[in-house]
Amino acid sequence: MGRGYIVENMVEKYLSSLQAPDSTGTSCVTGLLIGQSTSQRDLVALAVRTPQRNTDGQGSPSINRRAWISLDHLDVEWVTEHARQVSRMLPGGLSILGVFLVTVPELSKEAQNILRQLIFAVDKHISKGRLWSLTNEDVTEKVALHICTETRKTVCRTFDIRDPKSSAKPADWKYQLGVCTSWQVLTCSVGLDLLIPVLDMRVLPQDMEKCMKEGLKIWAKQIEVGLCLINGKILADETEIVAGQKKNAKPVQQTFQAQILIPMAEPPSVQTSTVLVKMCSGSLSLKGMVHCRAYLQSNKSRVKDAAKVIKRDIINTVSSRVEMFLEDLLMEGVDNGRTSLKLKTTSTVDTVPEMPCDHPNKAPKSLKNYYISVAMAAAVALLATGTSLLYLSD
Amino acid sequence: MENREQIICQLNTTNEPHIQKVISRTFEDLCSQVKSESLVLSVCNSPVFIWPNKGGRATPECLTPNSPCKDLQQFIQTDDQESMKSKKKEKTNASAVVINLNLMTEVTEPADLSATTLMRCSTKHHFLYTAMPMDCVVSLPSSERLSVVYDALVVALCSQLDEMKKVMLRHMKGMTLLIPQPFHFLLPDPVGLVTVVYPAGVPDSQLEIQRKELHSRFELPGNRPYLRRANSLHFPDEPYKDGYLRNPHLHLKPPTLGNGKLYLVQGVYSYHHYMQDRVDDNGWGCAYRSLQTICSWFQQQGYTEKAVPTHKEIQQALVDVGDKQGSFVGSRQWIGSIEVAAVLDQLLGVTSKIMFVSQGSELASKGRELANHFLSEGTPVMIGGGVLAHTILGVAWSETTGEIRYLILDPHYTGAEDLQVITDKGWCGWKSPQFWDQNAYYNLCLPQRPKTI
Repeated sequence: MGRGYIVENMVEKYLSSLQAPDSTGTSCVTGLLIGQSTSQRDLVALAVRTPQRNTDGQGSPSINRRAWISLDHLDVEWVTEHARQVSRMLPGGLSILGVFLVTVPELSKEAQNILRQLIFAVDKHISKGRLWSLTNEDVTEKVALHICTETRKTVCRTFDIRDPKSSAKPADWKYQLGVCTSWQVLTCSVGLDLLIPVLDMRVLPQDMEKCMKEGLKIWAKQIEVGLCLINGKILADETEIVAGQKKNAKPVQQTFQAQILIPMAEPPSVQTSTVLVKMCSGSLSLKGMVHCRAYLQSNKSRVKDAAKVIKRDIINTVSSRVEMFLEDLLMEGVDNGRTSLKLKTTSTVDTVPEMPCDHPNKAPKSLKNYYISVAMAAAVALLATGTSLLYLSD
Repeated sequence: MENREQIICQLNTTNEPHIQKVISRTFEDLCSQVKSESLVLSVCNSPVFIWPNKGGRATPECLTPNSPCKDLQQFIQTDDQESMKSKKKEKTNASAVVINLNLMTEVTEPADLSATTLMRCSTKHHFLYTAMPMDCVVSLPSSERLSVVYDALVVALCSQLDEMKKVMLRHMKGMTLLIPQPFHFLLPDPVGLVTVVYPAGVPDSQLEIQRKELHSRFELPGNRPYLRRANSLHFPDEPYKDGYLRNPHLHLKPPTLGNGKLYLVQGVYSYHHYMQDRVDDNGWGCAYRSLQTICSWFQQQGYTEKAVPTHKEIQQALVDVGDKQGSFVGSRQWIGSIEVAAVLDQLLGVTSKIMFVSQGSELASKGRELANHFLSEGTPVMIGGGVLAHTILGVAWSETTGEIRYLILDPHYTGAEDLQVITDKGWCGWKSPQFWDQNAYYNLCLPQRPKTI
């Protein structure tokens, strides 16, 4: 009994528009499948292809023609980096459920291996630096979809990312209209005021990322175990957030205000009679506010699912913004006593996200920056479509 | 309400006035956190959350700022039967109900609405970090409105922070800062409930000056302790961690004598008896146990920080004063009231009066002396005679008729700390003069309170 993926109709249209070999001669098209997987249902809301890598001076058509019969040139690093960028931009509740691969019929046999490789590589890359932990209730299977350009046949399998040696399990892939309608929305604004000391043995700016990560990890743990109120009330975990729904009634999209409460301070692990003093070579201070938003399938979502998605969005939002910011800081190489940088805090769905680097008109400073702008452009295009679907009201 | 608040501050120099400024500023920040809209009070064992600085908003919503504070009780869930029973009792006796609260902060109530900034500072500095153990108590009539309660709590928190800052600065030595700890005391009327902040790690013996100040401020007598850490209030809903029963006599119905009055032990003692602490002293340890009960009284009234001595420690003390040979330690030899007095002096610096009766029947005539003892000293009395030792916790005595009853705590009990059994079977009970062996002679040890604060 494998998983059953219910997929938005628009995704079918999008996938059928993808051709291999395409105009540049690449023999396969890779991409990501985005949605929400719970123990009750697996919903796929969006698909987005890996954008083309625009490397100058690549090949005459003759080289390309040779390329289309093999998957050797497949740049796994590029695919995973795109996945990471997209993952950063997704609102809470939506995540990368898997990978799709469109190939010519000759490559169908290799396709399964490639998909397996991509699934594990993407998951590894996305979960690097993740500040929250997976629980027993999380679905750890990812979908690998293969589409043949000629027959347009889809082969859908899943891999369990907890077990690298596991074999693929068959899964259902069914298109349906209205998958993206009437999801429940949770929102909140989170205030930040973290002071992270940089202990003497560490040196800024090299160890900045490590220090920041350590400090954020403590904060993330507090958020994870914090109490979550939905619309001002504390409810039992198993309560459905949309209470009293008639059996076949059409679900209505509702917005819920989330509140997170944490204890003011934790008792120390070791009781001391004196205040702890540490020598530091510097400090990092994170202050301000972020807006967070998470989406939940309307089908019988419970309070504990809601709490989970909004908390994870809070942690992801702060964590990915800080990551982007640190990347910028390292590139700038500024090192004069004090540095301060403002993070743009825009919600990722209802407005067009701005470029994370401060100077969008300059030529990209490095390959990394370039990835960002390309990936975001592609993701934005599709999220824009996704947005309108998600906001469809009855 | 007990909880912790984080204190983090950075010091660039070890210059003392500078340190003081930084610490003061940090406490000001803490105070503004307490007054901010993101402060949330959570009522323990209940689904109640309160935002005291947001107009008293609460969930569940039926708790409005104008509701009487006793309305909070209905939401508190206790799972065990015992406390349900005691709650019922308390309602009929109209005694104080304790509601415990925790301090929380709402992360989703941002104080600063500006976009996120990350600041990096590369100067060397000292980083100080601790969690402040806040513990405030507010005592109000149950009909008082919740809005008054919230205001009182926030005020109490701020003033405790201020006191903590003063204590921290007063005891600061260079970069060593002591953590201030709050203690609650129930002082005699009209003072009532007070909270005092003492620095951690400084023993009571070194805090006499502070206690003198407080004794004069609260107009307390200058010859007995009220404000040592051991005197701190034990809340009725907190169990004692050491497992000994406290004051079992309070659960007894006292006898009624014509024109009689009760003269009882003052304060708190623990019930020590045979077989406790995995020591099988059945048949020989009764005086030792009575002595342990007396020591527990001195410790809980704040006269000593020493733990209740073991049988061996008692025996060693007698060897140390030259009363016994070295072979006494580890033996099962009995001791009497003279030895009890000697040990109290050696280990606790407590002097005792010895009373002697040549016949048990004479004890009936010692009513006045015993009554006076309980009035002025109020310490438990050890009585030894014949082959038995007991502890006298009080007398019921009529000055006119001379009738007397003795409140006895019996160290010969070998069972578990079961209050029901102990009171029902008379292991702690009121006895008539016939209780004593009418022909045996008895010695009584009456410990005297040292004159100290």
